[in-house]
Amino acid sequence: MKNASTAIVATALLGFVACTNVNSPNGPSVTELRPDERGFVAGLGIESQDLVTISDKMARGILGAEPIANAQGKPVIVLEPINNETRFPIDKDIFLTRIRVSLSGNANGKIQFVAREHIDKLEAERDRKLAGQVTGGEKVKGNEFRGADFILTGTFKAISSRGNAGASDYVLYTFQLIDPDNSDIIWEGFHEIKKQGRDDVTYR
Amino acid sequence: MKFATASLQLLVLWMTACQAPDIPPAREYSDDLVEEGKRLIAQAPRQDKNLWRLRVGLIALKQNQPAEAKALFDAAMPSAGQILQADASTRMAQSLFAPENVKGFHGEPYERAMGWFYRGLLYWIDGEPDNARACFRTAQLMDALAEKQQYRADWVLLDYLDGFISTKLGQDGSTALERARTHADGTVLPDYNSKANTILFLQTGFGPVKKSGGDVGEALVYDGGHSDVARVRVTVAGQTVEAPIYDNLTTQASTRGSRAMDLVLARKANVKKIGDTVGDVGTVPGVVLVEHDETRDAGLALLGVGLVGKFIGNSVEPRADTRTWNNLPQHLSFAALQLPVGEHTATVEFLNASGAALPDRQKSVLLTVQADRDTVVLVADR
Repeated sequence: MKNASTAIVATALLGFVACTNVNSPNGPSVTELRPDERGFVAGLGIESQDLVTISDKMARGILGAEPIANAQGKPVIVLEPINNETRFPIDKDIFLTRIRVSLSGNANGKIQFVAREHIDKLEAERDRKLAGQVTGGEKVKGNEFRGADFILTGTFKAISSRGNAGASDYVLYTFQLIDPDNSDIIWEGFHEIKKQGRDDVTYR
Repeated sequence: MKFATASLQLLVLWMTACQAPDIPPAREYSDDLVEEGKRLIAQAPRQDKNLWRLRVGLIALKQNQPAEAKALFDAAMPSAGQILQADASTRMAQSLFAPENVKGFHGEPYERAMGWFYRGLLYWIDGEPDNARACFRTAQLMDALAEKQQYRADWVLLDYLDGFISTKLGQDGSTALERARTHADGTVLPDYNSKANTILFLQTGFGPVKKSGGDVGEALVYDGGHSDVARVRVTVAGQTVEAPIYDNLTTQASTRGSRAMDLVLARKANVKKIGDTVGDVGTVPGVVLVEHDETRDAGLALLGVGLVGKFIGNSVEPRADTRTWNNLPQHLSFAALQLPVGEHTATVEFLNASGAALPDRQKSVLLTVQADRDTVVLVADR
């Protein structure tokens, strides 16, 4: 009898756990997902799974580009903000940051990035060193901030439509690696995503 | 004995004191409308919180508290690509026995467009004009649900701003400007000045208010808003600009046409009307027939059917959702100026149809023009 009760309780617990789908909003109130996984609040906009897929794809493309793969020494790459022409407000730095991290992790030291976005603070620190306010001034020999061998930037464009049948968003993500000395585009990669959806009838 | 009596009295007194009612102190109201608004948000039913966030967010924006406004708009509005999905409240809103307003508030298309319009303004204040343009594009898309083709995505200012920002960013804004001029219906829109660094969003009057129509409240109709302002004149640093009215919110609200939800409400209304009719037809004759022995059985049956009909008719809730973002303006206008870096005081005059400035509406606005970003302000006549 005791064994039977234990078995029933165990079965009930197992059933309860099995029915709790982590991907369902009826499941736990907080669910941890992989960033490349589509969550249950997915929409038509630019989302984390797009960011991961696109930045990994672009990083692979950049590493395979001839001027990078066969470069003598470590080419210096400067990141310039994305030109967002979609209807989705985005953090423009997040894509380039993700690409940079992905490249840094996979390039085995073949690429050098520079922190151009912090140039004001870097100049202030260098000036403090040169003025003797802090140590290290003797190591500074003129302007040692590196110029870019290549500039990495991108443009997002979209075609969006909406009607009673639903909403649709096509987004074209393009990235270019540009030689600033002659404006040549030495590598270009793209990714495109189309999403469709429809609001519940009570909101249409 | 006296000691015992005194002790007893003390005990009774002590117990009585402990039973004294706990009188809460009088509530303190602050003069800060945003703080008071937050209190209202906290007190609002769950399905109305977004509505209150939008109302209070606009108050914060008008009071030059952009950080507060941003937080409230972000909390109130779904992200630009989010699909509004079914949940328990939307299923209840579709059921026969609950009105539409039990669903979470996301507003009608003109209200959603205005939410994105203000969100875009806030991005521009933050020095992110391309994200502001993204918001204006999403706002325009909210209006694409209009029933008639000519009213779809026809906000003038949204297209005008789309082209203006594109021009400022060194891109081609001519297509958007052309769209804006097509929808402007005779209003002359100024050419873009890509070097303009001072952006004034101008709004006037009171916007439309929703009310229920139809036989049993199943239709959504609008009480038009009001504004007696026909143009806005901005004078600053020796420059004078007269801005036309770009958009009328009552027009935008009332040209939306029928909604998909209207079919659901029409079905509910039909059930209610049939129930009421069956109730009326069955109840009175049933009562009469019950009076006579030979017709009592038939009378009871008819009375029963009538009462069931009445019950159903009274239980069905076909009322349309009339919750309104009620501090929106009636008119939107816009002016862009090129000013030298530094502080300037602008005078904003609201002009009536005959061109006279309305004296009680004049505003004085301090503009702090910076070198590295646009100065963006919202000026309302009320």
